[in-house]
Amino acid sequence: MSSSPPPAPDPILGAGFAAGRTAAVAARLVADVARASSDSWAGAAGACAQATALADRLDALAEADADAFAAALTALATPSAGLEAHMERAAAIPLEIAEAAADVAAAAVLVAERCDGLVRADAAGAAALAAGAARAAAHLVRANLTVTASDPRLQKALRAADDARYSASKALDAGV
Amino acid sequence: MSPDEHLVGRCLDGDDAAWSELVERYSRYVYAICSQGYRLQGHDAEDAFQEVFLRIYDRLGTLRDPGALRPWIAQLTRRVCLDRLASARREEPSDLEPAGIATIVEELDDALAVRQALGELSVECQEVLDRFFCRDESYRTIGEELQLPAGTIASRISRCLARLRERFGR
Repeated sequence: MSSSPPPAPDPILGAGFAAGRTAAVAARLVADVARASSDSWAGAAGACAQATALADRLDALAEADADAFAAALTALATPSAGLEAHMERAAAIPLEIAEAAADVAAAAVLVAERCDGLVRADAAGAAALAAGAARAAAHLVRANLTVTASDPRLQKALRAADDARYSASKALDAGV
Repeated sequence: MSPDEHLVGRCLDGDDAAWSELVERYSRYVYAICSQGYRLQGHDAEDAFQEVFLRIYDRLGTLRDPGALRPWIAQLTRRVCLDRLASARREEPSDLEPAGIATIVEELDDALAVRQALGELSVECQEVLDRFFCRDESYRTIGEELQLPAGTIASRISRCLARLRERFGR
């Protein structure tokens, strides 16, 4: 009796991908809230354009992170001369995600403070989601094997996460 | 009088600086039509580019509506590209029009309009919009580079976009 080998498991997309996508969803929410407030707020279109640009940037970063994460896992399983480069890339992209997510939270503050009151809670919620994504991405930078405690990349990622947390608390307080 | 009408008038008056400005304003546009619209590469794209500006220099006086400078240049560029393709392949130019060329030229028109409107904004606005939308810089990086509080960058970008929008509304 012959048996075929079990199918290969789906590749793990990783927390970096999830953080990027979460922040992208938050950015689209900020854009939607701004758009919904365009009758009462002259700057709504500008805020919407920024949030949309951040969403596009984060979607691309999420995809890039999934690729980099898969490449790093492969390199770790079969050590080669290229291992360090793969690991460096696997740290660089979460840092970019953390910074872009912090910007989503900052844009959410701008929108929460000026938007129509009916949708203000959505802007605040988007800021909280973005802050969570920034924190997760910063943790991935810290967990990377090539990053030490004094590494400037880690300092930047933690600073972005702190900025995002501060913005989220401002957005959550807006209009309360 | 639109900026293009003013520019054409200065060129026809023999103002050398105006000719340089015309080349500066339209060089990327012409090159993009040659390379993205008609897929001309390397020397072919450069030769077509030179040919277009020679024809503009020779024929600007025949342009009846100076406000229509951009579509006139687009048409002239398309003609030059088709002629080059036809002479290389020994085919009729009308058979060589690439699919989707009208859409590509429309997109290039939009890009040119945005670029020209950006050029009318303050240097500060141009800088902040370029850094955020073209270089993908974070609010914090922009703030540090321009010595502005990071918390004000998002609202500053919104104000600059509103000014850009006003330029289109005029």
